[in-house]
Amino acid sequence: MVFIALSCLIAFGSLRVLRQGNFYKPSFLEHGVEATAFDYIVLGSSTGLTTLNTQVIDSVLGTHGLNLSMDDTALSSQYLMLQHFINTGKKTKSCVLAASIPDYNVVHPTLSGNDYRFLPYVSRDYVQDYYSSFSGRPARILSYSNWFPMLGVGYYNAELFYPSLISLLEPQKRNRFDAFGNYSYPVTSKYSKPIEARRQLKMNFQNPYIKRIQDLCAAHNIQLIVYLPPHEQIAAQPIEMPFYIINHSTILQDTRYFYDAQHVNALGRQEVSLRFALEVSGLVGF
Amino acid sequence: MLVASYLFYGWWDWRFLGLIVFSSLVDYLVANGLAKQQQVNKRKLLLALSLVCNLGLLGFFKYYNFFIESWVAAWGSLGVSMSVSTLSIILPVGISFYTFQTLSYTIDVYRRQLEPTRDLVQFSTYVAFFPQLVAGPIERAKQLLPQFKNQRIFNSDFALSGFYLIIWGLFKKVVIADNCAFFVNQIFDGGGSYTSIELFLGAVLFGFQIYGDFSGYSDIAIGVARLFGFSLMTNFSFPYFSRDIAEFWRRWHISLSTWFRDYVYIPLGGSRGSNWQGIRNVFIVFLVSGFWHGANWTFIIWGGIHAVLFLPLLLFKSNRKYVETTRMSMRQAPRLLVTFVLVTFAWIFFRADTASMAYQYILDICSFNGSSMLTFYKNSKMLLFSTIICLGILILLLFEFLAVQKNKKEVELTPLTAIFIAILICFMGVFKNPSDFIYFQF
Repeated sequence: MVFIALSCLIAFGSLRVLRQGNFYKPSFLEHGVEATAFDYIVLGSSTGLTTLNTQVIDSVLGTHGLNLSMDDTALSSQYLMLQHFINTGKKTKSCVLAASIPDYNVVHPTLSGNDYRFLPYVSRDYVQDYYSSFSGRPARILSYSNWFPMLGVGYYNAELFYPSLISLLEPQKRNRFDAFGNYSYPVTSKYSKPIEARRQLKMNFQNPYIKRIQDLCAAHNIQLIVYLPPHEQIAAQPIEMPFYIINHSTILQDTRYFYDAQHVNALGRQEVSLRFALEVSGLVGF
Repeated sequence: MLVASYLFYGWWDWRFLGLIVFSSLVDYLVANGLAKQQQVNKRKLLLALSLVCNLGLLGFFKYYNFFIESWVAAWGSLGVSMSVSTLSIILPVGISFYTFQTLSYTIDVYRRQLEPTRDLVQFSTYVAFFPQLVAGPIERAKQLLPQFKNQRIFNSDFALSGFYLIIWGLFKKVVIADNCAFFVNQIFDGGGSYTSIELFLGAVLFGFQIYGDFSGYSDIAIGVARLFGFSLMTNFSFPYFSRDIAEFWRRWHISLSTWFRDYVYIPLGGSRGSNWQGIRNVFIVFLVSGFWHGANWTFIIWGGIHAVLFLPLLLFKSNRKYVETTRMSMRQAPRLLVTFVLVTFAWIFFRADTASMAYQYILDICSFNGSSMLTFYKNSKMLLFSTIICLGILILLLFEFLAVQKNKKEVELTPLTAIFIAILICFMGVFKNPSDFIYFQF
């Protein structure tokens, strides 16, 4: 009993510290972002995080955007982030969904590798419901952490407990993103070569979370824009959908813009962000 | 208990239940046959039957492919090419352990050191007893079998000591072993380039990984057995506090080393004959012991290294120097360190995939190229793991040192220290991607 009480106390404290800090995006949104109204937010995985630079877009369009993308997450996580955003009481005119291209076609979503980052908010219904909607050991552990926080904090000790110690010492410390939520991969000494051919991929948008994101946006008067980021090997071919689609999958024609097959480097990010800004100019929020 | 043990074993693969049942039946019948048989030749025949059946099964499942490949390679080195196919054989979990356990029973009965049991259920339970079935300790029938006959009365202190031992074992496994595995796998299998000191530290960490892994499992097994009122033998007695190799082998995997002492070394004559006989016997025991661990030349070489390290102590009759005294003094620290370093170098062969990789590993350490340890702190994740490992090992050594100085045979936790260790397990343990128990593969 003493062990359970002590470990719960430590875990509770750890989650509280994370909640109060800026280490991960969910708490950064609550405590690291003073603004309450935005023209647009970017929701995505590592592709969203490293492709669209909101500073560049804002400097071109005079807008105010925020990048809420998180690496190693999926559309389900982006839906959760949108719920979290709405729950903070903040407002946005548009939501740019910048998930990885293959994720849009996933029919049976699973818990993402970095969904534990919402654990500090596990007592909230939308987070609890999210974790409960998945099967498998990590999802169950995260779900039960509402009553036994040491389960989740223990299981993800390297990702939660130790970062909470960092957050305790440095509450402003952010985990690999800047004050606008952006991050970029470095320009490595990669060869410059034209991209000759790409694999065609039909985008059916079968992921069930697209509909949920769409409905949530509609309920809060947010314009949804689905963004297909540049890819070195895939040429996305989206079908017609009842939301605005910006397809940049083949926009970059040289390998020097890419950090790896699905992520652009700083050079690519600059190029793509400018083009994005020009393309969305005139849309709601922009 | 037998049903539970068979369920436990069968859960992994029910097909191999037949093997353990067969082994149990053979030795049950052989032992009862030995009790009735007085003629020496017929007794030898019965014992041979048990040996052939048990070692035959072990040999087939564990060593068939090794022998075939070695045979082909040997002829290949002489320029003769052969085309022999190997089989896809699954190694039944625990076969090396329960085979030796059941063999010790028939050998003891043959030697008239033990009366055979007529109770097949009790005997089968002795063979398949689930806490120690898959990775030991390898129990002697003299010690364990009577416990199944006698009525057990729940003893709360005994059960509590078992519970604390489980906690300690878990600490060694999920905090020490699994965190060490993070670097060990990178350094041994990652294919990157490392400095001499990084390679040496990699070997040191493997030493702690295998110790944490194996002794952790043993502690959990012994602890679980105590919860049911059974007493199992101590399998590890703080081996990294050994002052020479002989002491190391009195402290490491005690159930196996004593098994080889009693059933191989002593019957061969031990050290009673000439020096050459003693040398021969030592080499046989260590090489076979190495071979027991796995079907790979690296394990045989590992055993051979320990034989070479042990021999001077035997020849100069100083292999029993530290039998009586377990307490350490500061002036023994250099001996402790030297023994640890020697054992660490031997572990390189145990961990490497091939002998040539092990040789290269040692050559790279001895080339003294670079003093950087960047691997251990090049990013925040590495730094975090390094910190956890350092802290974990310090705590491990502190607790063990205190136990050694108090002449205890195991770390004895108090309620307060048990809670402390449990919290460390919770917040320092590897749960997301745990490593399998290393000795499960043997």
